[in-house]
Amino acid sequence: MKAVFIAFDQAHREEVIAALNSSMMRGFTCFEDVQGRGSVSGEPHYGSHAWPGMNSAILSMCEDDRVPVIMERLRKIDHERPMLGLRAFVLPVEESL
Amino acid sequence: MSLYEGAVKRPIMTSLVFIAIAIFGLFSLSKLPIDLFPDIDTNMIMVMETYAGASAEDIENNVTRPLENTLNSVNYLKHITSKSMENYAIITMEFEYGHNIDQLTNDVRDKLDMISTALPDGAGTPIIFKFSSDMIPILVLSAQANESRDALYKILDDQVANPIARIAGVGSVSISGAPERTVYVYCQPEKLEAYNLTVEAISQKIAVENRNVPGGSFDTGNNAYTLRVQGEFKDPKQMENIVVSTMGNKTVYLRDVATVADTLQERAQKVITYFTNPSDPQGYSGEQGAMIIVQKQSGANSVAIAEKVLELLPRLQRTLPSDVTIGVIVNTSENIYATIGSLEETIIYAMLFVAIVCFIFLGRWRAVVVIVITIPLSLIASFIYLSATGSSLNMISLSCLSIAIGNVVDDAIVVLENVTNHIERGSDPKQAAIHGTNEVAISVVASTLTMIGVFFPLTMVTGMSGVLFKELGWMMCIIMTVSTTSALTFTPMLCSLMLRLKKRENWFSRWYNHFVVRGMLDKLDVWYAKRINWAVRHRGVVVLGIIVFFFLSLMPVFTKQIGTGFFPSQDSGRISVSLELPIGTRQARAEEIANELANKWMTRWGTPETKVLKACNFTTGQADTDNTFASMQNNGTHIISFNISMYKVKDRLMNLTMYDVGNQMREDLKAYPELVKKNVVEGGQSGMGGQTVAQFEVYGYNLAQTDSLIRILRDSMMTLDGVSQSLISRSDYQPEIQVDFDREKLARYGLDLSTAGAFIRSRFNGTTASYFREDGNEYDIVVRYSPEVRESIETIENIMLYGTRTNERGMTEVCKVRIKDVGQVVERFTMPTIERKDRQRVNTLTCVVNTDKSNLGKVVEAGQAFVEGMRDRGLLTGDVDIQVAGSYEDQQDSFRDLGMLGLLILIIVFIVMAAQFESMSDPFIIMLVSIPFTFTGVVLALWITGVDLNVMSMLGAIMLIGIVVKNGIVLIDYIHLLRERGYSVITAVVAAGRSRLRPVLMTTLTTILGMLPMAIGTGQGSEMWQPMGISIIGGLLVSTVMTLVVVPSVYCIFQGIKIQRERVKWADELGIELEWKKKHHIFKRRK
Repeated sequence: MKAVFIAFDQAHREEVIAALNSSMMRGFTCFEDVQGRGSVSGEPHYGSHAWPGMNSAILSMCEDDRVPVIMERLRKIDHERPMLGLRAFVLPVEESL
Repeated sequence: MSLYEGAVKRPIMTSLVFIAIAIFGLFSLSKLPIDLFPDIDTNMIMVMETYAGASAEDIENNVTRPLENTLNSVNYLKHITSKSMENYAIITMEFEYGHNIDQLTNDVRDKLDMISTALPDGAGTPIIFKFSSDMIPILVLSAQANESRDALYKILDDQVANPIARIAGVGSVSISGAPERTVYVYCQPEKLEAYNLTVEAISQKIAVENRNVPGGSFDTGNNAYTLRVQGEFKDPKQMENIVVSTMGNKTVYLRDVATVADTLQERAQKVITYFTNPSDPQGYSGEQGAMIIVQKQSGANSVAIAEKVLELLPRLQRTLPSDVTIGVIVNTSENIYATIGSLEETIIYAMLFVAIVCFIFLGRWRAVVVIVITIPLSLIASFIYLSATGSSLNMISLSCLSIAIGNVVDDAIVVLENVTNHIERGSDPKQAAIHGTNEVAISVVASTLTMIGVFFPLTMVTGMSGVLFKELGWMMCIIMTVSTTSALTFTPMLCSLMLRLKKRENWFSRWYNHFVVRGMLDKLDVWYAKRINWAVRHRGVVVLGIIVFFFLSLMPVFTKQIGTGFFPSQDSGRISVSLELPIGTRQARAEEIANELANKWMTRWGTPETKVLKACNFTTGQADTDNTFASMQNNGTHIISFNISMYKVKDRLMNLTMYDVGNQMREDLKAYPELVKKNVVEGGQSGMGGQTVAQFEVYGYNLAQTDSLIRILRDSMMTLDGVSQSLISRSDYQPEIQVDFDREKLARYGLDLSTAGAFIRSRFNGTTASYFREDGNEYDIVVRYSPEVRESIETIENIMLYGTRTNERGMTEVCKVRIKDVGQVVERFTMPTIERKDRQRVNTLTCVVNTDKSNLGKVVEAGQAFVEGMRDRGLLTGDVDIQVAGSYEDQQDSFRDLGMLGLLILIIVFIVMAAQFESMSDPFIIMLVSIPFTFTGVVLALWITGVDLNVMSMLGAIMLIGIVVKNGIVLIDYIHLLRERGYSVITAVVAAGRSRLRPVLMTTLTTILGMLPMAIGTGQGSEMWQPMGISIIGGLLVSTVMTLVVVPSVYCIFQGIKIQRERVKWADELGIELEWKKKHHIFKRRK
């Protein structure tokens, strides 16, 4: 089992959820308003006067075979709108309830 | 879910809410009455009190003074003026604006009840009028007749005046120029004496003969009958056969001593109306007829009344005899309609201009639609307010819409711009609409708050300008609130539906991108960035330059190049001229002069080729003495009064304004030296939009002294170039024939003064003996001396008085004596009217200011200098004082109010900005630059266009405070943003300037172009709003340029100081000696 952590500009929210749905990933946890900044490029998203944009983040657990599917779809979304920003990280899940 | 998120996600609800508002607004609009101004003329109450037989001075002392003293304590009273004339006093109370007239009327009535016992015994009950007699009539109708001319009065009174008077809001309907039918019994004095008869005896005889006497009823058999004696005359000629006396066995008939004339009133006003007539070879024609004058009550709506009357006219026309035609000479509502119409036109143009500006900057019709749609939405919403408060579509409310157009789009533009940015970055339109709006919501609300900060205090202004600006203030607040709400809900909703990421390429977008964006806008950005880069690096030069510019621009003020006025004069197309010949001139002479003038004017301006004057109508002669209201107006055989109406400004074929015509008329009148008083009034004299007049009031009890002083002042004023006419309110002493009786001699013949007086009255004025009834109408039967004997003083002297006395034998005997034996007939001069203001005798000099050559401020200043000169020469002794009144007084009040308001607005705007920036220095920078240069711009614009500084231009300047700081806010806000993103001061300033140039230009241009139709409009009434348009455009233009160039420099100076202080502090803490401090110090402090 893997955990997929997706941090993205709020504007991507609906597309990301659509991507999860189409990748047969039902469960997720969404953090509506989160702040963040890219390690390399991209505008910071602080919700402040200078950087008014905000991010959302989704943490979703899935079976291993779902990972390439969802990553492919997310890559496509990011590729289409590079200015907004979307990053996804896959982590192993050690145990679940 | 936030407001905008809800709106974007529920487009149907959002659009329907706004559609509902629009429907309510349009519904309200359909119900709104039309008027020239908000309800402003409800502040006059007139009290009339009669005291028969008293002279002007007696009236003043016994009636006017006690009434004035009591009425003076009514609340909210501004001025109390009075006119004491023979037989009656008129007291006019002027109240502060904005108080309920009904409440005030009740207060006045209470005071009158209190005083009633203190008035002389013979005095009548005071009558309260809720209007002032100097209010100009709203309609003047003409009536022409051929066969029915003799019966015209009755016809008009019954069939026209009465139905019109029943219309709600009509104050009075009076008919002039239609003499009434009267049956005169003209007695021959010598014949009366021969038969020992008197005028009184004849009247009595006629009264008892002209009667139907009911005799009760009587029964005979089964029938009951009523018994009657039918004695009323069927024909006036029957009267000649009445037996008035028997002498011995001879019968004396009425025909033996008198003649009966079934004719028209002897003294009557004559009205002749000239009007443009293309079928006449002269181009105009004139006809004698009657005139019907309709006046409204205080607070009634002129347009509504005029409309109802005009609606009624065709119906009334059908009931009239076929030869009687009713026409309209003057119709106030026409001017109001035309004014409102041309204002509506400017609003349409303003909308068009704003749309064009948006299109040039945005280049996409979808974006333009999104923005422009907020204009009608927010404007229509304000109609709901107007309708709810019972206001009207007037010049103020419509100008307000015109001002708002440029401003309501600002918020929508900001939102749209940010949403577009988001879309271009790749957001889905829906997401972009929500997040894009969210980001700018606070600054949109803040900028609206600054606008509300400007307009809300307007709702608190008091006085005359308060009545006007209250409405403006509320409307702007409402429009701004609605437009902001719409920008935060409706605009994002529309954006999410209409905007899309991939623009379709077509020929237009290619052309637009090539020529407009790259060819103009981008180049402008670069050019501006270069200038600003230079400016921030040469801050000292910039600051020095603008200080020099600021003081240079104030030169027109220091050198008094800018005139001041109260309200602009409006071309309402109405002129009234009143002329006075020496007292006692016969009506025929007055008529001759009047006809001459009317022909001259109509030939010059009234033909179909010139089309300036539409109708020119004049009245001469004395009004009926029975008609108290008419006799309160100035009338007499020597007085001519003209009523002239002009074509609408755009219909005139000769390019002449009302003022050009009025000035030319004054020139023409100079050719008549016999005219002792000439008064040409363009529009109305008082209130807004009328003639500009400077009034000087000479207070003082001594009539001779104040008379001579006012003449000196008048002569000095007439030497001024800017005074086209001057008028002294106090009329000349009037010659009178008086009879001085010797009371002792009267008593010897068993007579007293009032009996003797009554003898004279019944012979000259006549007595109404009875009424002649025909077809249900009553006509007076008046017995008096025949006209040919009433022309000489001998007739007065020879009047035979009959008295009764008891002789030595205790018998009562009748004795006869002629007036010349018991008294003397003398000629004297009396003062016809005594005027008072605020309980002091006053004589007013009214100077009409020729606004082409001068202005109110200048004329008043010159007048004050003359008054000071008179004071220095010691002419103003005792209680005599000269004060400035009229428009100048109102102007000073309004300027003071507006000045205070300006200060209040500055403070509020500062507070709003300081709260938004959480800084004291930033709002200070913005205000330091924008506000002074706003005034520079206003001053320069007024100076270049030659327009006066008046209430309208001042209002424009005050509104600018809110408008101009917006540019500064946009700029500083973005500089802050860039600074927070880590830019250095100068880079941030240059980049912000470059990035914000377009939004600033766009919002400024929408406002300027929105005002442009107002500033350059030439339609009816445009004189009124032109000063406001000009001052807003001038102020905004200069202030925007200054904001764009100077705000960045000043910001850099302040930031420089701040940074250096921090560095010094930091260096001090660390104990480091800073090398650069010696070179780059801007600010030397410490050590």
